[in-house]
Amino acid sequence: MSVNAAPLTGANWVVLKFGGTSVSTRPRWDKIAAIAKGKRAQGKHVLIVVSALSGTTDKLKAICDGHADAGKCRAVADEIVARHRAMFAELELTDAGGIDAWLAKLDQLLADPRRAQGALTWQAEVLALGEMMSSTLGAQYLSASGLTTNWLDSRQHLLSEALPNQSAWGRYLSAQVPTARDEALIARLPSLGETFITQGFMARNAAGETVILGRGGSDTSASYFGALLDAEIVEIWTDVAGMFSANPRSVPNARLLSRLDYEEAQEIATTGAKVLHPRCINPVREAGVPLTIKDTNYPEFAGTEICAAVADALPSVKAISQRTGITLISMESIGMWQQVGFLADVFEIFKRHGLSIDLVGTAETNVTVSLDPSENLVNTDVLSALCTDLAGICRVKVIAPCAAITLVGRGMRSMLHKFSTVLAEFGSLRVHLISQSSNNLNLTFVVDESAATDLVPQLHDLLIKAEAMRVEDAAVFGPSWVDLYKKPQLQSAPWWRARREDLLALAAKATPHYVYDLASVRAQAQALRGTIQAVDRWFYAIKANSHPAILREIAAQGFGLECVSPGEIAHVRGIFGAAVDILYTPNFCSRTDYAAGIAAGARITVDNLHPLEHWGDLFAGRDIELRLDLDFTRGHHDKVKTGGAGSKFGLALGEVDEFLHLAERHNARIVGLHAHLGSGILDAKHWKEVFAHHASIAEKIGTVASLNVGGGYGVPARADEAPLDLEAVAAGLAEVKAAYPQFELWSEPGRFLVADAGVLLARVNQLKRKGEFRYLGVDAGMHTLIRPALYEAYHEIVNLSRIDEPATELVQVVGPICESGDVLGNHRRLARTQEGDVILIAQAGAYGAVMSSDYNLRGRAAETVL
Amino acid sequence: MTATIDKKFADPRDTQAFRFTACDFDAASGTASLAYAFDDGPLLTERVVFPDAPALPAERADAFAQALRLLHLVAGVSYYKAGIPPELRVETGALATDTAGFLHELYFHGLAEFAYQNKLDLTERLRFSTLVRHSREGGNDEKKAPALNLPRRTLLPIGGGKDSLVSVEMCKSIDEPATAVWIGDSALIAACAERSGLPLLNIKRQIAPALFEYNRQGAWNGHVPVTAINSAILVCAAILYGYDAIAFSNERSASSATLEYLGRQINHQWSKSLDFERLLRAQVHAHVAADLDYFSLLRPWSELAVAREFAKHPQYDAVFSSCNRNFRILGEHPSDRWCGQCPKCHFVFLALAPFVAKPRLLRIFGRNLLDDAALAPGFDALLEYRDHKPFECVGEGGESRAAMYALTQRAEWREDALVARFLNEILPQLDRAALALEPLLAPTGEHFLPTRFTSLPNAPL
Repeated sequence: MSVNAAPLTGANWVVLKFGGTSVSTRPRWDKIAAIAKGKRAQGKHVLIVVSALSGTTDKLKAICDGHADAGKCRAVADEIVARHRAMFAELELTDAGGIDAWLAKLDQLLADPRRAQGALTWQAEVLALGEMMSSTLGAQYLSASGLTTNWLDSRQHLLSEALPNQSAWGRYLSAQVPTARDEALIARLPSLGETFITQGFMARNAAGETVILGRGGSDTSASYFGALLDAEIVEIWTDVAGMFSANPRSVPNARLLSRLDYEEAQEIATTGAKVLHPRCINPVREAGVPLTIKDTNYPEFAGTEICAAVADALPSVKAISQRTGITLISMESIGMWQQVGFLADVFEIFKRHGLSIDLVGTAETNVTVSLDPSENLVNTDVLSALCTDLAGICRVKVIAPCAAITLVGRGMRSMLHKFSTVLAEFGSLRVHLISQSSNNLNLTFVVDESAATDLVPQLHDLLIKAEAMRVEDAAVFGPSWVDLYKKPQLQSAPWWRARREDLLALAAKATPHYVYDLASVRAQAQALRGTIQAVDRWFYAIKANSHPAILREIAAQGFGLECVSPGEIAHVRGIFGAAVDILYTPNFCSRTDYAAGIAAGARITVDNLHPLEHWGDLFAGRDIELRLDLDFTRGHHDKVKTGGAGSKFGLALGEVDEFLHLAERHNARIVGLHAHLGSGILDAKHWKEVFAHHASIAEKIGTVASLNVGGGYGVPARADEAPLDLEAVAAGLAEVKAAYPQFELWSEPGRFLVADAGVLLARVNQLKRKGEFRYLGVDAGMHTLIRPALYEAYHEIVNLSRIDEPATELVQVVGPICESGDVLGNHRRLARTQEGDVILIAQAGAYGAVMSSDYNLRGRAAETVL
Repeated sequence: MTATIDKKFADPRDTQAFRFTACDFDAASGTASLAYAFDDGPLLTERVVFPDAPALPAERADAFAQALRLLHLVAGVSYYKAGIPPELRVETGALATDTAGFLHELYFHGLAEFAYQNKLDLTERLRFSTLVRHSREGGNDEKKAPALNLPRRTLLPIGGGKDSLVSVEMCKSIDEPATAVWIGDSALIAACAERSGLPLLNIKRQIAPALFEYNRQGAWNGHVPVTAINSAILVCAAILYGYDAIAFSNERSASSATLEYLGRQINHQWSKSLDFERLLRAQVHAHVAADLDYFSLLRPWSELAVAREFAKHPQYDAVFSSCNRNFRILGEHPSDRWCGQCPKCHFVFLALAPFVAKPRLLRIFGRNLLDDAALAPGFDALLEYRDHKPFECVGEGGESRAAMYALTQRAEWREDALVARFLNEILPQLDRAALALEPLLAPTGEHFLPTRFTSLPNAPL
């Protein structure tokens, strides 16, 4: 980069790059025209870099791969011709001379004697045609649209340079171009025009032959031109707004990364983000040219800006990614202790086989390295050949398939103390390798691929909660993917806003005070029944909230009731008499507890061998349900996970046969299978998987008529959590139900029906300031609502007395109980509060009053149903 | 769900007779109805729906009626087994001697595993011979069905596993016009069929809902010879749509017994065996059509040879599954398609390992089954080491041992837990000379491949 030369005035370049889908229809070309005209209006010189029409490069590649088969090549070429003629027609262009010349070139290349051998020079020329054609059509169309656009042959300006040890294939089909500010070009181009279009993906070599830049090539071309022209900015226009803090496909709440420095961006691109090829960052970094990613469909979105350094950013994890298909090679030295040159010997063998190593871990007698998945590795015998050679100098073991989970952020080593909850998630997994990159930009864990499913969304969530990912820092983090792309959902204001006056009046009578809104209960019950129609029979787990009015409302919506104790059964029978269907699911209960359930005419669930072994006569001649532990767990907190060996619930799958024998011996018929594997589940696939697992077991039992997939339907607690997609749950269950029509499908939600329907009202007792912390003490505490202390549950908290005042104070909301854990909410922003204000704790309808206690002899909260 | 049935369900194990009551075909909807009953209990009516069924040409009407009757008799096995009552009653006409013999073999061998698992003896109960018509010619059943000039094309049943996909590729390699056909609703099979690039035919089969009710009353449960039922359905389909060949994809090993019990051979895959193939061919040729060929395209080959062939077609990697517990769901993760716990998963993994690059194999399964020490008992059963071959459609013990031995010779596999265990514990007890892979890959043995398939590369002479 030239240090002394001042930038030329009068030629401020902007490089715009558009991918295949952006150049494949006329409306998309109109968008390109609009974007380019906008830049012109700002007085910029514009260089547009384009990819080939969607699918064209794949077809050209098919010609290269099938070069020996002339007929096949011709057939594919005909498709390419037809596609480009159709595009020409769609753009209503008049002069076919330009496109015809390139199509003629395609014919020529098919007749070329180099075709039979598939010569690399020939392949490069074939592959280059796609961009040649798209840029030719584009130049004509943009000019016709009133933006005079000059066509530029990118090969005139990008000169590749062979790397040491680069294969012939690499020199022609994965070439690299060294770039530096090109004064001659900067001086000459403005004299030719203001707007230019050129091709991505290609360059020329020293011999003047066409070469291809390889994967991500068009982005790289834009980057090269940005460096040559010392552009103000390079804009990559694509189908997504930019880089995100995680892959939005698996983490819809992933946040747009508004601003990144080059190194972080490169790290994120290398470790998973697909939106940008990592190799396109280096040229702009060296030239100091900023690069932004923008969404062609939504030019108004800010996108991701990649530049030299982000001032004043908080140290933060920027992104978490997962790469699958990783192969680890573990090599145990068989030679002498501290054998000299062992590493060199090992690496030489990898080099010989053309395999490039990603992560490395070393020990005195072992070195373990990782290989990224590549076509070469999967479709050839290279791994076998590598291992054969390695076996000559060490014991070699292949550990695969693995997933690499990577946290990216500048200054990773200074954030370690925030990772305790994140690290805890790895506790149950086999971690094969941990690597902390020497540039201090990433921390990577390599685990079994099969164990990594759904891990990233969890970790992303934990990173935010642990304040290791500082999403509140607006300098770095933009809106979430959901906020950007999901159709705005009509998030109706919670019911309690409209009932504020009533609630304040109730609080005046008594606090703490639980208040329930029956209309909300009804709405949730109807939403479940109306959406998930595959479910044949619904039960409400009354332990969530057994208030008589709520039970009556839910029973009126056609739900049976699920009870877990003789007390609950007596409560239900006391309200309804015999007029309601009871499912009885006790856990580690006594013989008399079972006897009580049987006497009450409930459907009996057994989840252990013990009752049949020792009290078999109780079940003789009866129908029973069997609760299984399907050995995988879901849930929002350890204490609400109810599956897996560490959970006391359910019969282990390995004991099913024994259970069947015992049931047969006592003439008890197993008419249903049941599993409830956790609470607060927001993954729509969960229930379908439970049903399918159940069905495969039930088919072998024969007498089973119904499969109970449990409940656990999650209710989002935080504003940024996406609600459970009931439509997706319904679709999944309908699919498995169709595969197993012989089984009835049962489900037993609890919290889902009542959580949002209840609020807890409390009155402010005292305020305290201590160091950095402000405490707001209310008359409700862990004795009233234990979920925050027990499950670390999050409940929205507002100052109901001052609901319209701005929330300005950061406080700890605490109760009056003599326990340090008596905290209802950490770091909450509330309106400036005074003694006597009424505080509302939302989502308290489930596991609130029912779990309250007399601890400290402070008495129970009042309960009122609206 | 059974409100419309007013007859009472009894425990089928307490009934006296199993009745084949009626079968018919509704041409308008392409629906075959197959009805059965225990005593005077509710009818069990199975329906098979042939989509877009063409009008049946008059010259094939008799053949179709015969095929439908054969299907009725064969498909009864699913219902009969619920009660295995002492008496069999065929109320749709007397049986020919050869058909009675065929049914006896089918019910006896096809239910052998069921009988073994439930500790039942079927010998005394299966008396199809008493239902034979007393013909005036003195029991001469040397009947031969006429040729129907069926169009020269092949029905190729797809199962979602590797075998039928190898058959697909074989047909394509010799330009044999074939239609990929499958029975039932399986998203996984549909995806495989789609990827085959062949024309598709999806036949629907609805098990009699009353069977589920009988099951709840305490019916016998267990394995039924489902390939026999599917075969009989396809015989009907061949006559209806016009195909002169039905090519199943059963390998040589399908003919070998799983175990011996009370002096009898029990083969989990009996209806995939050469014996069954021969018997059904005879029935088809005697009663349905002289020019309808029922055979297995893969019969001359071992499982390993088929695995080697499959390795050449990576386009199926992300869709196929041989797992019997894959929950009939086409999922995005390998674990949705391969449970990793059942003998089929174990065997297919082992059989492919010598022929597929290790990273590709691990990508297919999503995990390395041979590096999981907890799976040792499962693989021991495949090797027939201290156990009998599992009751699943898996290869012969010799094939598994040869594949495992081949892996001990490979540096990238040798250190995996179960390969190392084989090397250290099992191999010393084996004769290495019997472990060569190559001899197992050559075509051999009896088969019924029509002449037009002998042009296949590597076909038996």
